[in-house]
Amino acid sequence: MTSRALLASFAFVAATGSALAADPIRIGVPVGLSGANSVVAPSVVQSAELAVEEINAKGGILGRPLALDVADDGSGAAGAQKAFDALIFQKKVNVLISMETSAARNAGLPIVARGKTPYIYTSFYEGKSCSPYLYVNAWVPEQQVPPIVDYFNKEKKAKQYFLIGSDYAFGRGMLSFTKAYIEKTGGKVVGEEYLPMDGSDWTSIISKLKASGADAIVTSTAGGAPNVTLTKQLRAAGVSLPYGNLAVDEGTAKSMGADAADIYISASYVTGIDSAANKKFLAAMGKKFGADLKTPNDLSVPEYEGVYAYKAAVEKAGGTDPQKVLAALSEVSVDGPRGTIKMDKQRHAPLTMYLGQVQADGGVKVIQSFPNVDPGAQCPPKS
Amino acid sequence: MLIVALDAVTTAALLLIISSGLLIVFGVMKIINFAHAAFITVGAYAALVGARLGLPWVLLVPVAFAAGAACGALAEVTIVRRLYQRPLDAILATWGLGIVIGQIVTLIFGREVQFVQAPITGTIELLGVDYSAYRIAMIGAALVVALVFSALLNGTRLGLSTRAVIMNEMLAQGLGVDSARVRLVTFAIGSGLAALSGALITPLSSVDPNMGVPWLISAFMLVMVSGGSLLTLAVSSLVLGGLQVIVSTFVNPILGGLTIAICAAVVLRVRPEGFARA
Repeated sequence: MTSRALLASFAFVAATGSALAADPIRIGVPVGLSGANSVVAPSVVQSAELAVEEINAKGGILGRPLALDVADDGSGAAGAQKAFDALIFQKKVNVLISMETSAARNAGLPIVARGKTPYIYTSFYEGKSCSPYLYVNAWVPEQQVPPIVDYFNKEKKAKQYFLIGSDYAFGRGMLSFTKAYIEKTGGKVVGEEYLPMDGSDWTSIISKLKASGADAIVTSTAGGAPNVTLTKQLRAAGVSLPYGNLAVDEGTAKSMGADAADIYISASYVTGIDSAANKKFLAAMGKKFGADLKTPNDLSVPEYEGVYAYKAAVEKAGGTDPQKVLAALSEVSVDGPRGTIKMDKQRHAPLTMYLGQVQADGGVKVIQSFPNVDPGAQCPPKS
Repeated sequence: MLIVALDAVTTAALLLIISSGLLIVFGVMKIINFAHAAFITVGAYAALVGARLGLPWVLLVPVAFAAGAACGALAEVTIVRRLYQRPLDAILATWGLGIVIGQIVTLIFGREVQFVQAPITGTIELLGVDYSAYRIAMIGAALVVALVFSALLNGTRLGLSTRAVIMNEMLAQGLGVDSARVRLVTFAIGSGLAALSGALITPLSSVDPNMGVPWLISAFMLVMVSGGSLLTLAVSSLVLGGLQVIVSTFVNPILGGLTIAICAAVVLRVRPEGFARA
């Protein structure tokens, strides 16, 4: 190393050192490191870590570095109360940005209101959660279901649908929206069946499906085991109807192997998005985490963009004052792996949705994209 | 109608395979092995490891049996052996043992769902309907398990000692039967059968650390109703499994999932000896 280069690197260290010496802006990430979300949570944390590292490398926000506080919410209400309490009142975080279960989110919201802390929720969910402190940059049923049903109606000439789900809020909520949408678009629902969340024996539902004369299936099970058992048993029973799955992600589809082939999924993020921003993001993730990388997905990428949305909002507001940041969050937009996203529709965001088909090798091929699908009236102002 | 009948018979076959290990332990030791679910899981993961090592499918099943039997023998020597005089404590201890095994599996393999490739895929045509080939194969597997099980019990020296211990342990001991060894071997075989059933259900089930638990209650209820013999276990699997399919098909699958437990409770209330000849 030449002395000039040495000097330059000292200057660099001094410059970043001084930026990092400022009081950090703290980002709280309550996430399900244990429990139902534990499979996906590590990828969410990795996304947040990359965003924070990138922003700090460029001097932080308004000269202040970012610091992450990750807390385990146990994927449920009881754990979320502790996690939110600790983050807001002990760690005194400036903002919460996280992907969580609906139960954890609902348990955390009263604490968020008490602490008057902005909260960017980055998980897709059943919709209509309306707290003045809550912003959502992921999809709701109004955005996810239409691509699949429209495609089946048009390309597969589907008229009779059979719906299968797990018996819980997300499963029933998604399918009741799906049913209404199918009926609105001229189709008919010939069967709607549920198993308890831990149920694994779909035998009689599959026999009913085969007897129903349905020409398309839409499923919304709990993630993990129920999704896998249903798909395996459908395939074992020789069912090859067009199959839309509202609950499978790219990673699970990949590990299911041949059984997942031909499943249709609808998501706001798939790794195959052909854009410079996405390629740059994937390369940066690969470089930072190497062999430990958890495949980025529809639940982890919004976390990355959420951190950038907060950065933009703080810069627009000129500081971390919660009320000013909350006002700014609906006005700023983020150019991320999923495209340009602005949470300006009643604290929800129009999103580009991708209809994908799982291939025999487990990869997801994008069949069609639906730009800027509106989230609909999630939180209409009270009149 | 034929489909419902096939659903009923294949469900009964699966139930019989899964509960036979629990039955042999209950029959000999008069304790309920609540770690049964964990041994099912062990078998499925043994099949997973075997498949990753490139073993052919026919070898995965004995590998699973061996893994389950080894875990079972270890559990018998360290824990279960001390609890034969305290059947209620044994339920608690085996339940706890199941949790420990589940956590160990989680530590080694992680929480996520794993996949084992199925040996038979697709459907075959049977009497004019297409039906899952693997489920049909399970009927054969259940028959094999039942035949081997009864041959073991009725045709070998070990079976003779086992039956002697079941009938009258004191007398058997007096005649020189090493009842501690009989119990050890029986518990190992029961655990091995649980693991074998775990390997056999992998093509229809997910492989995750809690995969055995949904099967445990049904297996427990069937063993209680059967009263301890393999023949009555087959009968109760057929009757209650069939009822489960009928309720799921014609009423609602959520109630279908409760059918076995509720019917078993009713049967035991009306006829405490269950399906066994009194």
